[in-house]
Amino acid sequence: MAHDPMAHDIPPFSGFGLGLRREHYPDFLSGEAAVDFVEVISENFMVDGGRPLAVLEQVRAHYPVILHGVSLSVGSAHGVDTDYLARLRTLADRIEPLWVSDHLCWTRTSAHNSHDLLPLPYTREALDVVCDNIGRAQDALGRTILLENPSSYLTFPEDEMAEWEFIAAMAQRTGCALLLDVNNVHVSSRNHGFDADAYIAALPHDRVRQVHLAGHTPGEIVIDTHDRAVCDDVWALYQRTMRLLGPVATMIERDDAIPPLAELLVELDQARALDEGARVREAA
Amino acid sequence: MTLARQQAAFMAQVLDEEAALPPGWDARRAAGMAVYRNNYRTALVEAMRATYERTARWVGEAAFARAAAHHLILLPPASWTLDVVGRGFSYTLAELFARDPEVPELAALEWAMHCAFTAADAVPLDGAGLAAATAAFSDEDWGAMQVALVPGTVLVPARHNLAALWQALGEDAFAAPDYALAAPTDWLVWREGLNPVFRQTDAAEALALAAVLRGANFGDMCAELVARFGEAVGVARAGALLGQWIGDGLVAAVSR
Repeated sequence: MAHDPMAHDIPPFSGFGLGLRREHYPDFLSGEAAVDFVEVISENFMVDGGRPLAVLEQVRAHYPVILHGVSLSVGSAHGVDTDYLARLRTLADRIEPLWVSDHLCWTRTSAHNSHDLLPLPYTREALDVVCDNIGRAQDALGRTILLENPSSYLTFPEDEMAEWEFIAAMAQRTGCALLLDVNNVHVSSRNHGFDADAYIAALPHDRVRQVHLAGHTPGEIVIDTHDRAVCDDVWALYQRTMRLLGPVATMIERDDAIPPLAELLVELDQARALDEGARVREAA
Repeated sequence: MTLARQQAAFMAQVLDEEAALPPGWDARRAAGMAVYRNNYRTALVEAMRATYERTARWVGEAAFARAAAHHLILLPPASWTLDVVGRGFSYTLAELFARDPEVPELAALEWAMHCAFTAADAVPLDGAGLAAATAAFSDEDWGAMQVALVPGTVLVPARHNLAALWQALGEDAFAAPDYALAAPTDWLVWREGLNPVFRQTDAAEALALAAVLRGANFGDMCAELVARFGEAVGVARAGALLGQWIGDGLVAAVSR
């Protein structure tokens, strides 16, 4: 039976979390890291057995877990990979995550997989493809999923709508929830010259369940590298964003040049303070 | 142009740095494509370096990066999992390092250890379990017995002392003596609990393991040992090997 996302909405979860990285395993395995949830890269645990699954099950005993994927490829014109979805479902059934998320992008053709989050042209045809694929994924997984806005380094001459219009239409048609990556909005706004606040204002805020924060590499083209602290501009955009959103899970991504956990926890405290400040100001 | 054709063209441009970009693309879009091309190569070479850490150390980072890039051109990834990006790399290295045969052998061992790391879980059969499973066996049952080894178990043939090379490459500074062996051997790779491990085999054990791994029953395995080593040695080794494999935690199950 087809999954009905409208009838199975994802309950909001409010909290602050980090990604599970090998360097910090001891802190998360002992349950001593002061976070409200842990996010993991789904594909790293879509394996037959061994240490990765043993670690994840132990971490899950201490924390709610979010499965964040990079290979669903909802933008692929050739459709979603049913074997991939079956493996993801097996993992989700085993871990019982808060939710399952992936990116608004494509990663593969029928012949090759780039293992990168490639950009989509924002056309009506692409929107049809994305919505069909999200529907199939939600049916196969038996759950509503979150889709994350990408960072991108080029746009297409064929574009027929803005990215935020594409995302709003996607959420409306599929009932999917949204993972709003504030850093990605900032990166793409710099690369493509749009107004980051206008982008975020145009999204359906009631569909947002999670927010990502990360660092990036400045330059002529700004690159989403996740290898440094969140910058001041992104913190400011985050605070303005939190005035618009209901309860969400906020997470800081760090995938390279990974610092000691204590350093990331200080960043997470900054997110907590800005969120609280935003909500106090909004209430006043 | 349909989305499918546009994506096929875009993928070809990511995979091939020399591929022409679509007509009408400006310098800004070309610069964006350069980012995607770089992301693709960097991420995949890094994934291969993680799988082949010791091979990279042995040949040097620059030579490894060139070999990995060459392999990715020969075999662009098709699967959703980065875990298999390095599949077949030992064959690529055998061509690139034809004068250094220990290089593909080391890579083959690293690949086997990598695969064993995430192989399916199994609870190895211990001595009591074997006794219980075979308590009611007739002689015919013993002959027909299928021995299932724990998932991830493979043999890696080599002409070099991979144990010594492996150990040396795990240390801060390593020597580079000639690791060649007097005779070819097979290295047995399996997972002990959560840890992939390997050890050397002798000719009889390698013959027996190869038989079991291709699905031969215990009787056929014995027959191969007898044919190669004679009746007395062959039969004695068959029983001793089964006991050794039980002790090593190599046997997942036996069945008639």
